[in-house]
Amino acid sequence: MHGWKGRRLRLDLTNRTYEIEPLSVDYYKKWIGGRGFNSDVVYHETYQGMDPLDPESPLCFGSGPLAGTFAPLSGRTTVSCRSPMTCSNMDTGIHGHGDTNMGGAFGPFMKYAGFDQIIVKGKADKPVWVFIDDDKVSFRDASHLWGVGAKKATIKIQEELGDPDVKVSLIGPAGENLVRYACILNNFSSSGGRTGMGCVMGSKNLKAIAVRGTKPITIARPDEFAKLAWALRDKVHNSPSAIRRKAEGSMDLFDVGNAIGINAHRNASTGFMPGIEETYGGLQWAEQFLFRRKACWSCPVACGRYTLIKEGKYAGFSCGGPEMESVCNLGCRIDTYDVAAVNVLCGMVNDLGMDSVSAGAALSWTMEAFEKGYITEQDTGGIRLEWGDTETSMKVIEMIARREGFGDLLAEGNIRVAEKLGVGQDIVPHCRGLEHISVDPRITMGFSLGYAMSTRGSDHLKNYSCVEFPGCAKSRSYQVEEIFGPEGAKKFWEDFPKELNELDTKPVLCTWSEKNKCVADLVSCCCQAIGSWGGAGTWQEAYYPLLAAATGIDLTPEEVFQSAERVINIERAHWLRDGSGIQDDTHIDRYFDEGVHDGPFKGMVIDREKWAWAQQEYYKTHGWDELGFITEDKARELKIEDILPDMESGKKIIRQWLDSDKKAVTPMFVPTGLRK
Amino acid sequence: MTLRQEKVIVIDPSKCVGCHSCEMACAMKHFGVCHPHYSRIRIQEFREVNTFVPVTCQACEDAACIKVCPMNARIRLESGAVVTDEEKCIGCRACVYACPFGAPVIHPENGKTMSCDLCMDDELGPWCVKACTMQQALKFVDARDAARAKGRDFAAMLKEQNEPPHQDDADFSFSFSVE
Repeated sequence: MHGWKGRRLRLDLTNRTYEIEPLSVDYYKKWIGGRGFNSDVVYHETYQGMDPLDPESPLCFGSGPLAGTFAPLSGRTTVSCRSPMTCSNMDTGIHGHGDTNMGGAFGPFMKYAGFDQIIVKGKADKPVWVFIDDDKVSFRDASHLWGVGAKKATIKIQEELGDPDVKVSLIGPAGENLVRYACILNNFSSSGGRTGMGCVMGSKNLKAIAVRGTKPITIARPDEFAKLAWALRDKVHNSPSAIRRKAEGSMDLFDVGNAIGINAHRNASTGFMPGIEETYGGLQWAEQFLFRRKACWSCPVACGRYTLIKEGKYAGFSCGGPEMESVCNLGCRIDTYDVAAVNVLCGMVNDLGMDSVSAGAALSWTMEAFEKGYITEQDTGGIRLEWGDTETSMKVIEMIARREGFGDLLAEGNIRVAEKLGVGQDIVPHCRGLEHISVDPRITMGFSLGYAMSTRGSDHLKNYSCVEFPGCAKSRSYQVEEIFGPEGAKKFWEDFPKELNELDTKPVLCTWSEKNKCVADLVSCCCQAIGSWGGAGTWQEAYYPLLAAATGIDLTPEEVFQSAERVINIERAHWLRDGSGIQDDTHIDRYFDEGVHDGPFKGMVIDREKWAWAQQEYYKTHGWDELGFITEDKARELKIEDILPDMESGKKIIRQWLDSDKKAVTPMFVPTGLRK
Repeated sequence: MTLRQEKVIVIDPSKCVGCHSCEMACAMKHFGVCHPHYSRIRIQEFREVNTFVPVTCQACEDAACIKVCPMNARIRLESGAVVTDEEKCIGCRACVYACPFGAPVIHPENGKTMSCDLCMDDELGPWCVKACTMQQALKFVDARDAARAKGRDFAAMLKEQNEPPHQDDADFSFSFSVE
């Protein structure tokens, strides 16, 4: 087998055993790669109502056919499991699919060791770490690593093995203490942050997985593959957006976002932060803090940062990162201009092993709750969080990771905090329990629809497309026809430029982008290269030829695209099985009622009527029914008929809830007529 | 001994970002597979401080590996590259120990040593250098310019540090002459 390795590894932590499972070509054709294998396993090896922290719940690391090859941008790894963080808005006890995609080099090394996927099940009786040395697997005592930060623990493991080239995926103290939004890190600071994968790893008493691999990845048609890889590399080398990304990192998006007024400022209540040129500006940031760039495996761009604070109160502090999302959520979102402190916060969050978005959201929710008078010092054990208070924030972050005092509550994630305290449900900006990233959903409707429809809770990495921005649509005009078809493209250009906050074109756009990005995840390539900076083109230009040359498999682009659709549907089915459908594909009331406070789009809200239309339209483009459920025809077309009984039982849960007068956890817009 | 006229690969660790593209390119070029152990250039990682050092054969003027090889298997090609003649090599690794950089690496399949052949006469030039187009940590330059480029970079850094602020005022010289 070429490109793929043909095997996966199953670890059983309870009995400390492992099993190597060969996989058939048909299986690869069906699921293609990392995210596909993971979603299949996570769906089929869990059941309705399963506790995500149940020892038998599988935690999967998956990599795709291009991971670890000469193909550029191919260092990504997907980690998936039933998420402890995300939940339905009917009931925070209802969970669903969760996954996260991390850079670094863990996926490539899994493949060098001979595995396309690692599945972890069971629970060790005491902390362990696992060393995978090609086909040999050993379970080792991790008591000396428990409670140690990510960076130090990685160094300790590498020292213990006497090999600095071993790749380590691990959790920080937050994961050990079951913070619901704990992350998994590899290569020191490349983190898979969202949906609480670290929490699941911690619940299994697994501190780290270290991999050493000595087996090469073979290529079906090496000469053709090399030519194609060079062509894509040349394209990236010459892409102006890649060159900008190299210089500024993802911080190049901060200025743009702020200028339009979409950065989630003050708990995502406003979108605009005045006077940021001297602080958050992309080049300014690089000049102040960038020590040296770092790259994921086989990526020529190197948008990764390594920060060194040169002067001031925090002089000498260094850390991997931060990227724009961390900066925005731990800076802009809590309304601070103290950028050095933001770097420290980002570094802390990484080392403690937490999702920077949810951690920032926890801080900003508390700040707004204080401002609105929802909570007082009595609720927080004497701590008072005001807007922009970075020093107290650092203290609180530490408390969350250690689950001390008020931090123990915040570690549950905003929706559960609000539910337990009984206040502030209206100011939790979330979809399916996962807080929004740093873009305000009231302005750019692509993000808005993307958040609500994503298969892992609020998220832009699953289905967002920049084509909704007029500038981007122009520079990627050739994509427009592919997305909307000849007729639709004609109409698109007639109406151009459509306002960002028009929903009209978004269902089609998001559906197309969803499959596009899914293919990137499947083959283990960077979805930003075909998304946010987009220098690589569409997946079909960038990754499909490489996929065919590497694996030598006779899949047409349409078949690959259909595999992507299958993966999206099985992830969706995971949610539907537990009864999370239409009532969760929406936003909190705040975004329909309260206008943006500031910036060029002041006063903007989401229109309820249009939203209900877009929701239905989105289902239609996917071939789902009016409750957002996968239809029998669709399931048969995608050869996933086995989900059909689950759809029926999921529908029962949703109908029961819609017919009852049980309140939603947070006030959210459910289209009229659905509930009595 | 006379100065060679060929081109050489020069490295700049301060620009290396640890993406290992050069390793992938080298393995692809010479073996048609992907794995760092199949590469003749290696990135030594100190990732905890985000420092990466590309290590590859420097094709030394007075190469220790050529002198030390008991089988005379280390040979200099016309391109200036120093490579192992696999027919003669017995895999004793003396060249590895003698090399100040430890640049020759072990062939993962036959245990003999191998080192950079500058991709012979490939029209793309050395693949590792091409793979580093964006970061410029590897450059393929005339041997005589190898040191000059580094000196120039250093001088440019000094210049930047000691430069007076830019005079954008176009009227400056004019007003001076009027006076």
